[in-house]
Amino acid sequence: MKRTIPILLGLLFLLPEVVWAQTVPNVGLRDNPVTVHALTGARVIASPGNVVENATIVIRDGVIEAMGTNVAPPAEARVWDVEGLTVYPGFIDAHSNVGMGNPRTGDTNRGPAYWNPQVQAFMDAGLEYSHSEETAQALREQGFGAVMSVPQLGIFRGTTAAVSLGAGPNARRILQPGIAQSVSFSRSNALGGGYPNSGMGIYALMRQTLLDTDWYQRARAVYEANPQGLERPERNRALEALQTVAAGEMPVLFETGNEDQLLWAFELIEEFGLNPWFRGSGNEYRVLHALNGFDHPLILPINFPNQPNLGNNPEGSIGASLSQLRHWYLAPENPARLHAVGIRFALTTDGINNKSNFFPNVRRAVERGLDADVALAALTTVPAELMGIDQTHGTVAVGKVANLVVTDGDLFRSSATIRDVWVDGRRYEINRPSTLDPRGEWVVQAPGQPIEGRLNLTGSRTSPSGTLRVGEQDVRLSSVSVRPESRRVRMSMQGASVGMDGVIRLSGTLSGDNLHGWGELPDGTLINWSAERVQAFGGADGNNGGNARPAAPRVAAALDIPDIYPPIDYGIESPPEQPEHVLVRNATVWTMGPQGIMENADLLVREGRVVEVGQNLSAPSGATVIDATGKHVTPGLIDAHLHAGSGGGINEGGNAIVPEVRIGDVLTANNAWMYRQLAGGLTTAHLMHGSANPIGGQNQHMKMRWGRLASEQKLEGAPRTVKFALGENVFRNTNRYPNTRQGVEQIIRDHFNAAREYEAQWAAWEQNQQGIPPRRDLRLEALVDILNGDILVQSHSYRQDEILMLLRLAEEFDLQIKAFHHGVEAYRVAPELRDHGAGAVVWSDWSSFKVEAYNASLYNARLLHEAGVVTSLHSDNSEIAARMNWEAAKMVRAGMDEEDALALVTINTAILLGIDDQVGSLEPGKDADFVIWNGHPLSQFTHAEQTWIDGTPYFTLERHRELERRVADERARLVQFILNGS
Amino acid sequence: MRAVFTAALAAFLVTAWSAEAQVPAPPQSGTIAVTGATIHPMSGPEIQNGTIVFENGVITAIGANVQVPAGARTIDASGKYIYPGLIDSNSSVGLSEIGGIDVMIDLNEFGNVNPNMRAQVAFHPESRHIGTTRAAGILTVVLTPSGGLIPGMTAALTLDGWSWDQMTISDRTGMLMNWPGAGNENQYDNALREIRALIEEARAYERQYRANNGQLRDTDPRLEAMIPVIRGEVPIIVSANEVRQMQDAITWAEEEGFDIILLGGRDADLIADHLARTQTPVLLTSVQGAPARGWSPYDQSFTTPLVLHEAGVRWGISGGSSAPYANRLPWEAGTAVAYGLPLDEAMRAVTLYPAQFLGIDDRVGSLEVGKDATFLITTGNPLEYRTQIEQSFVQGRELDMMNAHREFYERYSEKLRQMPPGTAGGGGR
Repeated sequence: MKRTIPILLGLLFLLPEVVWAQTVPNVGLRDNPVTVHALTGARVIASPGNVVENATIVIRDGVIEAMGTNVAPPAEARVWDVEGLTVYPGFIDAHSNVGMGNPRTGDTNRGPAYWNPQVQAFMDAGLEYSHSEETAQALREQGFGAVMSVPQLGIFRGTTAAVSLGAGPNARRILQPGIAQSVSFSRSNALGGGYPNSGMGIYALMRQTLLDTDWYQRARAVYEANPQGLERPERNRALEALQTVAAGEMPVLFETGNEDQLLWAFELIEEFGLNPWFRGSGNEYRVLHALNGFDHPLILPINFPNQPNLGNNPEGSIGASLSQLRHWYLAPENPARLHAVGIRFALTTDGINNKSNFFPNVRRAVERGLDADVALAALTTVPAELMGIDQTHGTVAVGKVANLVVTDGDLFRSSATIRDVWVDGRRYEINRPSTLDPRGEWVVQAPGQPIEGRLNLTGSRTSPSGTLRVGEQDVRLSSVSVRPESRRVRMSMQGASVGMDGVIRLSGTLSGDNLHGWGELPDGTLINWSAERVQAFGGADGNNGGNARPAAPRVAAALDIPDIYPPIDYGIESPPEQPEHVLVRNATVWTMGPQGIMENADLLVREGRVVEVGQNLSAPSGATVIDATGKHVTPGLIDAHLHAGSGGGINEGGNAIVPEVRIGDVLTANNAWMYRQLAGGLTTAHLMHGSANPIGGQNQHMKMRWGRLASEQKLEGAPRTVKFALGENVFRNTNRYPNTRQGVEQIIRDHFNAAREYEAQWAAWEQNQQGIPPRRDLRLEALVDILNGDILVQSHSYRQDEILMLLRLAEEFDLQIKAFHHGVEAYRVAPELRDHGAGAVVWSDWSSFKVEAYNASLYNARLLHEAGVVTSLHSDNSEIAARMNWEAAKMVRAGMDEEDALALVTINTAILLGIDDQVGSLEPGKDADFVIWNGHPLSQFTHAEQTWIDGTPYFTLERHRELERRVADERARLVQFILNGS
Repeated sequence: MRAVFTAALAAFLVTAWSAEAQVPAPPQSGTIAVTGATIHPMSGPEIQNGTIVFENGVITAIGANVQVPAGARTIDASGKYIYPGLIDSNSSVGLSEIGGIDVMIDLNEFGNVNPNMRAQVAFHPESRHIGTTRAAGILTVVLTPSGGLIPGMTAALTLDGWSWDQMTISDRTGMLMNWPGAGNENQYDNALREIRALIEEARAYERQYRANNGQLRDTDPRLEAMIPVIRGEVPIIVSANEVRQMQDAITWAEEEGFDIILLGGRDADLIADHLARTQTPVLLTSVQGAPARGWSPYDQSFTTPLVLHEAGVRWGISGGSSAPYANRLPWEAGTAVAYGLPLDEAMRAVTLYPAQFLGIDDRVGSLEVGKDATFLITTGNPLEYRTQIEQSFVQGRELDMMNAHREFYERYSEKLRQMPPGTAGGGGR
């Protein structure tokens, strides 16, 4: 096998572009290079699994005219002898930024644009295409002849186009415009700041835009049927561009950044009946169990993670988490695992910055189980079909475009090199085999000079090593270099052993078996020399000498790494099972219901719900019986204010009023804190929007069902709640209304009024449904639901004045505030809270971290409770959420009754979150969420032993110890795998 | 006690909330004997039905069979418990009032090397956090500035008095040093070179100082402040959390001949044998903290004290140097008990042990004849939430048990009394 040399500049570009044009008039003399070619002697992989040996391919005017074993090259063809080489169909990258690398940003909102600049749905890659030869060449070097060019900016980014990577003006490159609408879960700062600036805001904007698309169609239809007397609806090119999307005709290509975003999209797809495609993230293997029946087009990146840096010492490797090690090890199996469950995909270079890493990664995927034919299909037939260019692209067949990849071996199972890539019947030389071989035994002649003797060059063809034997003396050459294009060979050596102190440098031109040289001696003498090869090199090619070596045998999947979920440290192989019956025996049971605290009591559970708490209950047959003698049982603890668990940010700070955004749209189960909190007895959490907005987003009730998908952790049947926020956090941003506490009141009031007006507008239209229908506005809809009590208000607050303000404002609108959170000064307005009917969710002891937190009191909860305000304690902190019983216990130190104190983190919290019909106490019919403690639950010296949710043991200390060993063992094996030179 | 409380409430009502709620107590007058309590002296076994006698602020007798001296005032504490006041050996109480307000935080001086900073001189005796810290049974704090390589000299103060000079019991509990981060090996090497160069310079300065009998033509405030450290009279408190930091600091101190106390100790469980072999004291700052790493078990921090205890390490527990949360110290110690540590050890970790490490065990940390009468009368163990601390003494002075949080409670309970249900509705716009 011969050494190849990468060609750095496409040779064809010595010719003017006009050569490849069809409509451009010729100026000056014409260039007409040969357009009929024949590749002979090829091993053709015509399509995955379909090999034609010793074939000839005839190309005429860019199209394959003939292909087969018995095809004779036409007389006029330029013949390319490719015997011994392999020809694949040209590859297709279904998700590329070619032509989109330098997008317009400043002037895209000319004309009737959508109000939000992140909605660029009208962008058309086919129209915006701006060729970058550098980008195109990088892809051609990997064998690609066509791509799907995807607009790069915004949330709705515009439509994609199939594009040829061949030559010519843009007019000839576009194969097929308008293939799919690209949609991203990320915003583009290049289009300006502002709303939305969080994942949940992006999700809300997607929904609003699709609703507007629907309204636009209906409003325009009504107006265009008879415009007289109607208020003219706007014209909007983004909404016009989205009509085919809404109709389910135009696919929506979701660009996902991780596996969570893939799962988020499903709900949107269902809500709007979209036809989805996905650009994957490479993490899909982590949620395979959630992709049952997934049959949407998937375009898969293979930018595998770098090997974790373990340093060169044990101190360095203790920093690597198991999740990091696992992902590094397992990500290359992503394509194979998806294929194994029947998911079809195309592969893309997207995400790989240096495109020359693409094939090494494809080979890693093949080594890790991906069938080579499937990989080939993922680069040819699958993307061709997806992009609707399978009539012309994707296989080597008569009538198809002449896009070919010529290689010197099996690209997928060896480190073969791409020699040429043909695009639209034109050849691009990628790597030229080096014919220059300076190796062998040479007799050097240089009359009168100390270098006469025998030169022996060995090693690799392009970077040989050698010795010069002068008399009986062997002198090692200190350097040898070869320049294949100029045919020059250069050498240097120390002259001491041949009687000259200093460095001797020789240079020569290699012609067949002759070297014609000159050189410089240490004393400055310039000399002539020559050499004749008397014996060819007989050794094996060295490291750089050959191509298409079989891939180094890897320890493919040598480790037994079980699938776990979530795919992070302490993830588990499967969620625990729910016994039909559970009987906890002989415990002190804090029911937190009418039964109070019961000594020597039993708790009976059936199918996840409490049946009874009582004495001497009998165990149904087959029941799981737990002897809890000497132990205490309480309801699972509830934290009304947590943030970890959102995968799409916790503040939508782009606007001041954002009740349309929902934490529940953007959850992630990859939340290490959940397990630690579960271990501390927490069973329910209320994930809250942040405090950047007077009216923030909607929150999400969660159960800590560790091991399950985030969507399965949602507490079914819980009411919707919304975050309000008052005080310093919401007016700290001086570029946005409000800047004072007075302004906070006004902006809430104004939006409450807007909501009532919106409601009235809809009510009026519903009467006769005549004229232009009102537009659905998710923000106002949420506000209407808030005012009507369908969304419960949970308001962040510190000072007494602002708490009172919201109470009085709400009363004007006949609205009851469900609870004030933080409420550092809530004790100062306890009577007002009580008479309004608002609850308080406060900290046990947080204080003085900013001015408005200075007047804290450790007696806050106690005084509120004494006033008759339903009071709860929250953490607002992942660490503290793991010990909410101790938060409650602090109130015992502050003088509260013990049962009242435990209510602060159980039943009272449930009441204020609107879920007391399900959780918060151990009463018949309620969820069997409970904790078994090794002692008094309010003692500083007690810890949780078991945490049950829905009658299912999600945490037991015993199982934790096993898990701890498994984590340590798996980490150790992965670290050793790396240290042993994986 | 009741009279004191009423006086404090009155004081509050006239002086408004800017001042500390409690009034500093007058010096002990006459001999006082507290009788009938279960005494936990920390330096020895529990004393049932014990008596503690103190005079001029100092314990004169303690035990089960102690005669109450004639003329002594007797406080009957039958059924109660007596413990030494807790010590927070990493505190910013009095140096930091409201987070986020720079001008209310005196912790971090300009520059990298500030051994001449004397923490106590900026102690604000009217800080609201003094009262809430005292309410948790913490009667002694060690002030620890922050920032740079050497933030300053730490000082131990009692938490009762009119001014910092009255309250300071030691102005040389240790020179604080933030051990450099070891993440980047080259930067780390440079930082260590700087430390060694600084110490060499300080040694040279001390020799010059000695040779000139302290009369230098050009004095250097930073190097001069390090003289007691160079002479081995004052230990170095080295803030370090990571394996490398702790191990390297110990070796450095052995080479230099310094006594060090490690502060932080997040990874102490990983090098417990090393700590035990070298008998290097460690003050843990976050027993309730998150596990050190993603793969660490959820209870890793909770069980670190037990690991150290079983390995024979000299260790204690300090606060996290947050003024408003200084009152959480007992809960940090108690957490270790929930995860297996013997209760007595947890108590000593916040009393006797830090006092010994910091050289203030002649005054505080245990209850013995000759030591300060700085103690708590409680209904149980002070690390337990359900325990009430009924009365505290600092140097024999009977403390006002009021604090700002309690004050607010009393004040707004009055509002509650004035506004029965139905009277607090909206009165208009």
